[in-house]
Amino acid sequence: MRKSFVTSLGALCLLFFCSPVLQAQESITLYTQRHYGFDEKVHAQFEEKTGIKVNVVKAGADELIARLGEEGERTPADLFMTADAGTLTRAKEAGVLGTFSNPELTAGVPDFLKDADGAWTAMTYRARVIMYAHDRVKPEELSTYEALADDKWRARVLIRSSSNVYNQSLMTTIIEANGADGALEWAKAVRKNMARPPQGSDRDQIRSVAKGLGDIAVANTYYLGLLETSEEETDRKAAAAVKVFFPNNAGRGSHVNVSGVGVVGVSKKKELAEKFVAFLLSPEVQAQFPENTFEYPAVESIELSEQQKRWGELKADQVPLSTLGKRNAEAVRLFNEAGWE
Amino acid sequence: MAVLAYLFQPAAEWTHLVRTVLATYTWNTVIVVFGVVVLSMLLAVPSAWFVSRYEFWGRDWLSWALVLPLAIPTYVSGFVFYRGTEAATDFLIWVKLNVGIDAYFAAELGIRYGLLMIALAAVLYPYVYLACRASFAQQGKGPIEAARCLGRSRKSVFFSVALPMARPALAAGGLLVVMEVINDYGAVNIFGVPTLTEGIFRTWFNMGDKVSALRLAGVVMFVVAGLLLIEQFLRGRARYVETEGALAVPQRECLERWRQLRVLLWCLVPLVIGFCIPVIRLASWAVMYLKENGWGSLPFGEAFLRGTGLAVVTAIVVTLIATFFIYAVRLKRCHYRRCANRVANLGYTMPGTVVAVGVMAVFGAFDRASEAFLPVISGTLLAIAFAYFVRFFAIPSQLIRSGMDRMGKPLEEASRVLGERPLNTFLRVNVPLLRGAIFAAAMLMFVDILKELPLTLILRPANFETLATIAFSLAKEGRLQACALPSLMIIAISGIGLAFMQRWMSHLDRVTSRKEDCEC
Repeated sequence: MRKSFVTSLGALCLLFFCSPVLQAQESITLYTQRHYGFDEKVHAQFEEKTGIKVNVVKAGADELIARLGEEGERTPADLFMTADAGTLTRAKEAGVLGTFSNPELTAGVPDFLKDADGAWTAMTYRARVIMYAHDRVKPEELSTYEALADDKWRARVLIRSSSNVYNQSLMTTIIEANGADGALEWAKAVRKNMARPPQGSDRDQIRSVAKGLGDIAVANTYYLGLLETSEEETDRKAAAAVKVFFPNNAGRGSHVNVSGVGVVGVSKKKELAEKFVAFLLSPEVQAQFPENTFEYPAVESIELSEQQKRWGELKADQVPLSTLGKRNAEAVRLFNEAGWE
Repeated sequence: MAVLAYLFQPAAEWTHLVRTVLATYTWNTVIVVFGVVVLSMLLAVPSAWFVSRYEFWGRDWLSWALVLPLAIPTYVSGFVFYRGTEAATDFLIWVKLNVGIDAYFAAELGIRYGLLMIALAAVLYPYVYLACRASFAQQGKGPIEAARCLGRSRKSVFFSVALPMARPALAAGGLLVVMEVINDYGAVNIFGVPTLTEGIFRTWFNMGDKVSALRLAGVVMFVVAGLLLIEQFLRGRARYVETEGALAVPQRECLERWRQLRVLLWCLVPLVIGFCIPVIRLASWAVMYLKENGWGSLPFGEAFLRGTGLAVVTAIVVTLIATFFIYAVRLKRCHYRRCANRVANLGYTMPGTVVAVGVMAVFGAFDRASEAFLPVISGTLLAIAFAYFVRFFAIPSQLIRSGMDRMGKPLEEASRVLGERPLNTFLRVNVPLLRGAIFAAAMLMFVDILKELPLTLILRPANFETLATIAFSLAKEGRLQACALPSLMIIAISGIGLAFMQRWMSHLDRVTSRKEDCEC
């Protein structure tokens, strides 16, 4: 009996440890940070159209960069995708990204949404905006991110932890516009104005505004879209209790960040990988993002969804996102100094 | 070792960290660890005592049901309990308007830290419970009967005899809780309580300073190593060995009706907060999801098979290796082996991500060296299995070692005197005597691997999904309703596994006691 146990254990081991090796079809491998169910549908559409299967590894962006670095020449990855320009820049600096062979590939994407050297391009972008309780706050009271430091917002602002990369990239634009000292003062004042210590997700900030714990929240636009279509009734009510305000619209524009993709430098299937990028930027896929993930499509001239139109007109801050990625460490250091957890 | 090497390198951001956030991180870590350990003991020790010493209505099923919360991952209990802070919102707004803003901040802080500790203790207390129950059940009847004869009350027997005797078990179980808490990333992040582990991530990934990050990891490891040493020092030379009559388990005492009720309520508390609340909440979400989307909208079959298969295989293999390892340490008390054992345990204190990056580095180097003649190992299940080994080795090692310590040496020595070789002694004396501990260790590993997240996320091959990774993806997307289903499945599988383990162990108990009867 013991012998048969050992044999079957061995067989199980073999089966498990070898299963990923067996692949026949033409395929590309994507390392991605995006956890959207919708992405899988896009991969399926790509496979249907071209016959190329998309293999996926989903994990944190920085972990994936580390993995690409350790795997080196022998990595199975062909493409790298994240939901933040900062990590794309870090991947480029770590030397794991190649460049697109043909600049025409990203021709439809505005310059500030892609890398100047062609290492990565956005496929969608999202704005980090102010959401206010429309029964307690008038839109005239709101103006800019900088104005969140004003004393009148004492104990009224809801925003999440500075460990979150969206806050870090917002901070880099504040540094870019006001210098490091100005940004530090800003962070200290906003920390003082918080309705509670930073915690929870963007969605939790919106929920808490609806509940009346604070009056304004800083959150990404698509979270509102996701709450509006949630299965839970309290979520839909929360979404109805807030409205979107696009900060700095009179000035440099609202801060936007991207979901972007680049081709892995050592990939042996660059041609197929670029085919996938072209597919992501094609009108047929771009047109699906606003309806499904509530993100803004990177290619100009694509129709927005009903919700997005209702939120109002977005004027995006045009500072090149690749320069912001380089300031990320500085942003975290300033957050630490300011005591913004 | 790789981590240790980094401690002495110059680090760019270290002074900045010390100046700004190190104190907060450390303070938060200490508070949360302390709170969770105390709460876990409060939840675990009384119920362990009651189910092992008294006969009352519901004892049979409570005895194994109390382990069930272990099936719930901390990140799941984290987001379930965090939604609980919403219930306090109205109260907080009232305080803000009527008492003052400072009182409001204090109340908010108290509620948040309190709920975080409950969220963690509610699903981690079974580590203490399991260890204590085993210890209470095996305490010989001698000392306790002596104390009772001397006129001590039940309560006083518990505090002055049983509890001190259960100290190694308390320490072993408590240590596992400490390490789980230190390691947690999900729950503390949701609750906005930055601990050292969060600091490691921030420094490494967001500031790009690997050396400072690993130095933080080093601080954590030293703290835990310090705790281990303190416990060993306090224990001194005392050995907690069961002597003759160890197996003569005393009869469980029958209780009057109202006492039964009191005991039952005590035992229900941990079960309700650790299991019923999260499961009911998840079930309500799952129902919402199914109403909208219908059955069969999520394909979990493959994830179920792959995740469970991997967990089963790895748990068995690691436990077997651990058993050999500990026996080797026991056999010869040489310093080298003991140190190796200590170092191996430290994997449990390192955040999963740090272990993962370490394992990637090892296999990356190996792959580069073996390019000519071997296929790539990075990104295969072998790499994941190895990482689980590094990460979870402490579980079987702790449990089996405490089992061996309790066993004493006489039987082994007898076998050796009779001329058996060490390996044979091990297989014919230690293993059969320890089969309960070995089985329990394998089962706990299985449950832990099933729930495991960071290692699996980073190291997995393409298209490899387990229930945990699916649940995490959905939670990350904020689709709590959809996420409830795979979470419930993890809980169900682990729950079945744990219940099975409990049944088997109580069966073992019965077999042993029947043998006793015959010999008498």
